[in-house]
Amino acid sequence: MSTTQSALDLAEPTPVRWRQYAVTVGRILLALLLLAGWKVGADVAGPLYAADPVKVARRIIEDTASGTLLRHIYVTLRLATIGFAIGCGFGVVLPFLLRRLPRLTAAVEPYIMASVGVPKYALVPLFILWFGIDDAPKLWLVGLLVFYPVFIAVFAGIRNVDRRLINMARVVGASEAAISREVVWNSLLPFFFASLRIALPRAISAAIIAEFLVGNEGLGFLIENSRQNFDTTGVFAGVVVSTAVVLVINGVLVRLDRYFNAWRPVDRDMDI
Amino acid sequence: MTAAAEPLLEVRDLGKRFAGRAGRDAPAWVIQGLSFSVNEGEFLTIIGPSGSGKTTLLNMIAQIDVASSGMVRFQSQPAPIGDPKALNPGLTCKIGYVTQEDNLLPWRTTLQNVLFPLKVQGRLNDETRAHAETLIKAVGLAGFEKHYPHELSGGMRKRASLIRTLVYDPPVILMDEPFGPLDAQTRVQLQEDLLRLWNLGRKTIIFVTHDIGEAIALGDRTLVLSRAPARVAGEHVITIPRPRDIRGIMGHPDFGTLYQSIRAQVQ
Ligand SMILES: Nc1ncnc2c1ncn2[C@@H]1O[C@H](COP(=O)(O)OP(=O)(O)OP(=O)(O)O)[C@@H](O)[C@H]1O
Ligand SMILES: [Mg+2]
Repeated sequence: MSTTQSALDLAEPTPVRWRQYAVTVGRILLALLLLAGWKVGADVAGPLYAADPVKVARRIIEDTASGTLLRHIYVTLRLATIGFAIGCGFGVVLPFLLRRLPRLTAAVEPYIMASVGVPKYALVPLFILWFGIDDAPKLWLVGLLVFYPVFIAVFAGIRNVDRRLINMARVVGASEAAISREVVWNSLLPFFFASLRIALPRAISAAIIAEFLVGNEGLGFLIENSRQNFDTTGVFAGVVVSTAVVLVINGVLVRLDRYFNAWRPVDRDMDI
Repeated sequence: MTAAAEPLLEVRDLGKRFAGRAGRDAPAWVIQGLSFSVNEGEFLTIIGPSGSGKTTLLNMIAQIDVASSGMVRFQSQPAPIGDPKALNPGLTCKIGYVTQEDNLLPWRTTLQNVLFPLKVQGRLNDETRAHAETLIKAVGLAGFEKHYPHELSGGMRKRASLIRTLVYDPPVILMDEPFGPLDAQTRVQLQEDLLRLWNLGRKTIIFVTHDIGEAIALGDRTLVLSRAPARVAGEHVITIPRPRDIRGIMGHPDFGTLYQSIRAQVQ
């Protein structure tokens, strides 16, 4: 074999499959380590303050079998979904309306940005006062917490749209509606998805916290009710299930993001 | 066409300056006192040094940018001066514009980009679709229909943006250095295609280029722009008869003199 040939051989990329396996194995080991740490920590803290993973797993299986857990998950998801839809809807539509009204935008922008700083959870007592103790105050909390990240991202995304693409679309005869749909919407999709990464878990958290305060169903109620009954295992089970719900939703979101942004070079070549 | 006929496009005493920005000198005039006119069916080439305002001029003709002073009239209709809100970009699809940057939609494939004007104009049917496919083949993009712009080369993107304008057949086409980043072979090929197309439909074409040879080979008339603020530094009627043989154009007896006199004015 000549020297040039061996140089070429060296340039060939070596198979990297073992690296992928290494990552997977590492992740599993880390999970086991965390579980072990949890178990040890729970034993040290005692049953009043912590529940070990085995007890929690058993409780989750029991509650799933009896159907109560699914009911709580359903109630929380329903609340989070409706609240999310409202907050997200306003968060997307409002910047599109403001796009056409630059003067109004300039006038209201400082107020919107200032209202970001209001701690929304602190408003819950007011919401209860104003809207009663049904779904309404909870939906307000979830909707507001979802609205802000979506609104800010979409607003920034619209400002970032390439003027030259808009001009091109105008020249070839696109209506303003077609420009909003095709050019503006597609330009800000990455911004929108980035905001959903914040907004979706927030919607679940907000729903759970709202359930701590009002109502007698849902994961938030399950956690708070278990705490009041000194049922630490129940609290832990609620937290674990809530986390699982958020993880599943995030997984779906990542898939959707990949699908809608498939054209992007980075999303295909990089695993984030 | 009689001499008395109104020109299709008339630019008179055109001036443009951009809004200033804090921390910079007061805005200078990019274009000042620029006048010329274009007749229907004419192939006008414009040549000028980099930064002389050629793109700015085309932007004002296409009405994606507003003139600061003077007059631009298309089919006797004056463009608004100083009021960007009153602009009518593309003049209701009558003026097509192949911009200097390709401005392809990055999230759309080559085919979707080429079909985009037809789609937004509501003219997408079997016939126009077939026409688009013919154009894609003609510029050598067959097999790349499903590629996204970032998966194409610079020259391929340029060709895609060229046929995106040709596909909806606007009567007037502005072209801003459309063949700049292409290799000599493809360039000549596309120049020939463009001339053939122009011969068939007798569109009005305003073609900006850096290349004196290209300006002579394609145009009925060549305008030379001065350095900023741009004015017309010279005007040359290209006497070489059509149909022209682009590959052999340098051998034509008039070519040398035209080339020399244009080059003397381009600085
Ligand atoms: N949006 C803008 N704001 C401020 N100045 C601008 C703007 N666009 C262009 N200019 C200025 O106008 C001048 C002419 O620009 P233009 O793009 O028209 O040149 P050009 O002749 O097309 O050059 P090239 O051959 O390099 O494409 C330049 O000096 C540029 O700095
Ligand atoms: Mg230019």
